[in-house]
Amino acid sequence: MKDYKYIGKNVTRIDALDKISGAATFVDDIDFGANLLYAELIESTEASALIKKIDISAAMKVKGVYKIFTGKDFHNRFGLYMKDRYVFAQERVRFVGEQIGAVVAFTPEAAKSAVALVKVEYEPLPAVLNQMDALQSDAPLLHPEVENYPRVPWFYPKAGTNIAHWRKTRKGDLGKGFAKADVILEDTYSVPRYAHCALETHIAVAKFDHSGRLTVWSSSQSPHTQRHLFAEALGLSHKDVRVITPYVGGGFGGKAGVTMEIIPAVLATQLKGYAVKLRYSREQEFTNTYQRLGVVAKIKMGATKDGRITALEHKLYWDAGAYVEYGANVVNAVGLSASGPYCIDNVSIDSVCVYTNLPPGGPYRGFGYSEMLFGLESHISRMAQQLNIDEVEFRRINAIKPGDETAYGAKMNPSGLQDCIDKAAAAINWGKKPVSEDPTKVIGQGFAAFWKAPAMPPNASSSAFLKFNEDATINLLISGMDIGQGYQTVMAQIAGEILSVPPAKIRVETPDTDRNPYEWQTVASHITWSCGNAVKNAALDAREQIFSLIHRVYHYPVDVLYLEDEAVKCKTDSAFILPLQNFVVDGIMTEDGTFKGGPVNGCGMFMPEFSSTKDNPETSQGGHPNVHYTVGAAALNLEIDKETGKMKLLKVALAIDAGKAINPDLVRGQITGGLLQGLATVLYEDMRFNEKGKLLNPNLTDYKIPTAKDVPEEIIPIIVEVPQPDGPFGARGIGEHTMLPAAPMIANAIEDALGIRIKSLPITAEKVALTFLQEKAKQ
Amino acid sequence: MKEISFMLNDEPRNVQVEPNEILLDVLRNKLGIKSPKCGCERGDCGACTVLLDGKAVRSCLILAVEVENHNITTLEGISRAKLSALQEAFMEFNSFQCGYCAPGIILAVTELLEKNPHPSLEEIKESIAGNLCRCTGYTPIFDAIMSLTGKGTK
Amino acid sequence: MSLAHEFAYYKPLRLEEALSLKQQYGNKANILAGGTDLIVNIREGVLKPDLLIDIKRIKELSQLNWGNDTLFIGSNVTFAELIENEVVQKNFVLLHDACKTIGSTGIRARATLTGNICSAVPSLDSAPALLCYEAMIHCAGTGSKREIPVREWFLSPRKTALQEDEIVTGISIKRIPDSYGIYIKLGRYSGEDLAQAGWGILMIGDKQYRFAHCALSPIPKRAYHIEDLCNGNSLNADLIEKAIALIPSEINPITDIRCTQKYRMYISEIMLRRGLMAIQKRSSGKYIEPRKLMGDV
Repeated sequence: MKDYKYIGKNVTRIDALDKISGAATFVDDIDFGANLLYAELIESTEASALIKKIDISAAMKVKGVYKIFTGKDFHNRFGLYMKDRYVFAQERVRFVGEQIGAVVAFTPEAAKSAVALVKVEYEPLPAVLNQMDALQSDAPLLHPEVENYPRVPWFYPKAGTNIAHWRKTRKGDLGKGFAKADVILEDTYSVPRYAHCALETHIAVAKFDHSGRLTVWSSSQSPHTQRHLFAEALGLSHKDVRVITPYVGGGFGGKAGVTMEIIPAVLATQLKGYAVKLRYSREQEFTNTYQRLGVVAKIKMGATKDGRITALEHKLYWDAGAYVEYGANVVNAVGLSASGPYCIDNVSIDSVCVYTNLPPGGPYRGFGYSEMLFGLESHISRMAQQLNIDEVEFRRINAIKPGDETAYGAKMNPSGLQDCIDKAAAAINWGKKPVSEDPTKVIGQGFAAFWKAPAMPPNASSSAFLKFNEDATINLLISGMDIGQGYQTVMAQIAGEILSVPPAKIRVETPDTDRNPYEWQTVASHITWSCGNAVKNAALDAREQIFSLIHRVYHYPVDVLYLEDEAVKCKTDSAFILPLQNFVVDGIMTEDGTFKGGPVNGCGMFMPEFSSTKDNPETSQGGHPNVHYTVGAAALNLEIDKETGKMKLLKVALAIDAGKAINPDLVRGQITGGLLQGLATVLYEDMRFNEKGKLLNPNLTDYKIPTAKDVPEEIIPIIVEVPQPDGPFGARGIGEHTMLPAAPMIANAIEDALGIRIKSLPITAEKVALTFLQEKAKQ
Repeated sequence: MKEISFMLNDEPRNVQVEPNEILLDVLRNKLGIKSPKCGCERGDCGACTVLLDGKAVRSCLILAVEVENHNITTLEGISRAKLSALQEAFMEFNSFQCGYCAPGIILAVTELLEKNPHPSLEEIKESIAGNLCRCTGYTPIFDAIMSLTGKGTK
Repeated sequence: MSLAHEFAYYKPLRLEEALSLKQQYGNKANILAGGTDLIVNIREGVLKPDLLIDIKRIKELSQLNWGNDTLFIGSNVTFAELIENEVVQKNFVLLHDACKTIGSTGIRARATLTGNICSAVPSLDSAPALLCYEAMIHCAGTGSKREIPVREWFLSPRKTALQEDEIVTGISIKRIPDSYGIYIKLGRYSGEDLAQAGWGILMIGDKQYRFAHCALSPIPKRAYHIEDLCNGNSLNADLIEKAIALIPSEINPITDIRCTQKYRMYISEIMLRRGLMAIQKRSSGKYIEPRKLMGDV
């Protein structure tokens, strides 16, 4: 393997100093001066109702209140993949917490006090609070006009129903597949909604100045997508909209696309000259941003006694919430990939996006795959049991290999799934589980494999500008977001490798759409791959300029030149060493005193030109909707207290194929972090709504995320590297994947330990204890 | 309005406040101290942690008027001369990702190490059990602290 | 953001000043010590005081005094102080156990035991200990003083026996010689959490017992039926099972966001059984970490 200087090395994060010294600036850390107004939302208390009257008279009297806006002031509709949302509710509300209007005041306290005095009169309508009810033929319709909403061409809503999109994937002949099977197992699994819980809540500040230019500072994973949606919704030119995104205090998908940010942007257009700030409270963070979708999954699987899966029927019904402009693409992504990381000849997948009167579902780390894999990987383990085959072996037999055909007909990319399975199993000594010394405790082993592809439009692209400075340090201008994963560092490593400049000498500033070139969004675990390619191309462009200048001045052929230790060197003339800082801005002086060259500025872009969503809507065959999959496997030893149900994670191993780990420590950081986030969705968290659609735990007291005392005793991160041919240095994304195996792995370990099968999340200590008790009573 | 005076990062400061103003907001909006972050305003998350007379407390649950004549230390005060060994260790072990919880966690651990330079893993966990981090899974934080106690290895 | 509600703030030096303000304002004045509950309640509109009386400068309320086998815990004494106090560690193990389970380091540095009992929530971790030690709550009004036994303190969820014009000056507990205690808490997390259920057990000598619980009834309570059954008997497996059989007569749990009634009912059996077994071990000098008893880390 090629010896790299910075690639594959544990380079210190280039944002480290900012973040551990307190210097890192987040949106709320920016001062906006005296002309700052604060917005607070008037929110629906009903899950489904018509708005009869809004009385703002008492609220207007509060000292410090400037103006109050409602749906009649703005009729703008917006959305990423489907335009089904309004800035403010138009006559009708569809979930508790939906924004009806906003009070704008000179202090946040005045705005908050005034909101409490706004009186909204409703005419309640019947509400549907779960997707199975919403699918009934007599269910009230949330969006009677759904088929008329502007949307991407790969969405298929069903008129006259609550179905906003239905992804169908068909491969082979299901009937024949089941006919060949020796064992057929059918069951249903369910997963509730979850919240991202980034520590920084959503915030955006917008200013529409007297020249008609809109600037928005937001905590966002998607500066350019936000600019585009603001321009589109407000009828502004893209050049007149500027989105500035400083550091983001955690994203996890929740700050992708546009949610609340459109509100201050729209308000600002009516408040010329002022900056308008909207900062979400922790409660609003729970009630009116994207949530992870809930799902009910029905799985029927058949296999032969020698362990080959012959048929899979997978039906997923998603609780997508009141607006699905982003969430419907989660449904779509899973609808293509619900075969899991297996090669199965006969597959039928139905992934159905259902409107409900709950907050909008949207992207959440894993993009639907965690939910899908809970059912599928639970089912795989149970199939193996019925076939009397070791479940790891069963996975090995069916694991998808490079070149195999996916359920929608495209070929599987190079990947090391077998290797991941073997290494994860070996790491916990699979099959030889330890025995607890405590008689009230029992240890089980659990396993799960996973895969995930980036879900993105076929033309999602990245670009990069790279500027050399006088001292041959570099400013790299890119528009992905470092939401914590270490993106800036990895991009600096890529540019540094090609230009022989240490990453510590490269500054990557957070994006500003006026200055930094286009990036679609920081989602889908695709920026290491996509933006990494753009950065690589920008560095190559700069290198080409450097070599061509050297050739012009010193007449060495370009192909004997190379860069090393921040200097240009020559393979045929070892005496030639020209430090970059001698010329990358000032050029090279020639004999007659004139200068050649000038500032070296590289430019690069990347778009996956092979990707296409053009397929047959009845089968999904024919397109190439996914650029590649990242695969992996995980295994654990779980100790369970048989009486209390409390679970202790003794040892967890997670193996993932990163293609090439550009910074292995950062990959391991994604494993420890993502794994705990995944474990939390199994062991602790869930969003609970009452019968009126109101969230019962909108705070970190009762929707609690794991603390330092809730981490596994030992985590074994394993990096597998089967290069991605079109990835920068072979790299592919791994950020979301690390949470995917958590839920089924735990469920499988519980069955191994206690002989009980839990088919719904979360799997709390209470659920384990009571299920085990019930099971014992039956015996 | 009442004028209060207190020591902020070893410097005397005076500021006019109303009784209902929260310490976190006064630090951030009236005194320009931005490292304490707002995460929940209920004491659940620990992002707003500051040291009050050397003890880690929640600045979102304290009125500014309460700290008259007391000492407040924030990450700005810790970082001023040079980075502490703890901060260096946080850099080495990638003990943060998005960075939002880092100021609070560094202050909480600063208090711990002041009292107990060789804490056990259990004591480390206890000291930051009220500081939530959604990104790291905490393990890299433990590793950094353990490296300072002489008990840890990388 | 700062609190939307406006109020006056006063930080008296003397208790008399605080009392006279309390007499003047009644329930429109709230006492501020640690503020960890109070500020949240004001922020969320549960309380709308006209005046906050900050008692942290009143020296007598900051006392933590040990004398005559009695510990007086002034209203300003925080959980952190109690945890670090050697008298508590040595003589009031049950209280020490409980203090360690409350909130997190950053909360315990401010939150006070008195503030805790004044909140009177059903899940009050400190209550089983105080009930077992038969603590006295010291209250003062203008020109009056009284001591309320803790069993008469909790009236209903969030309601106590304190009068509008009174201030709690402290809590006293008397050492019980030859006693061994334990507080077992069940939460969803190993880290900071509110109790799903809590049991305090005190064994005096080898044949006297006190039991108290929290989060299992509208108010924290002693379990007198179980005590009556156990008193006079040595601890053994048979007694433990008989005690457990009486749990349904002692508790009246509900289903809430933290767990179901069914689990609370069931888990109380496990808690009591393990608690009694652990107390046996403690009485024979073994170190027992109560948190680990239920399977927490």
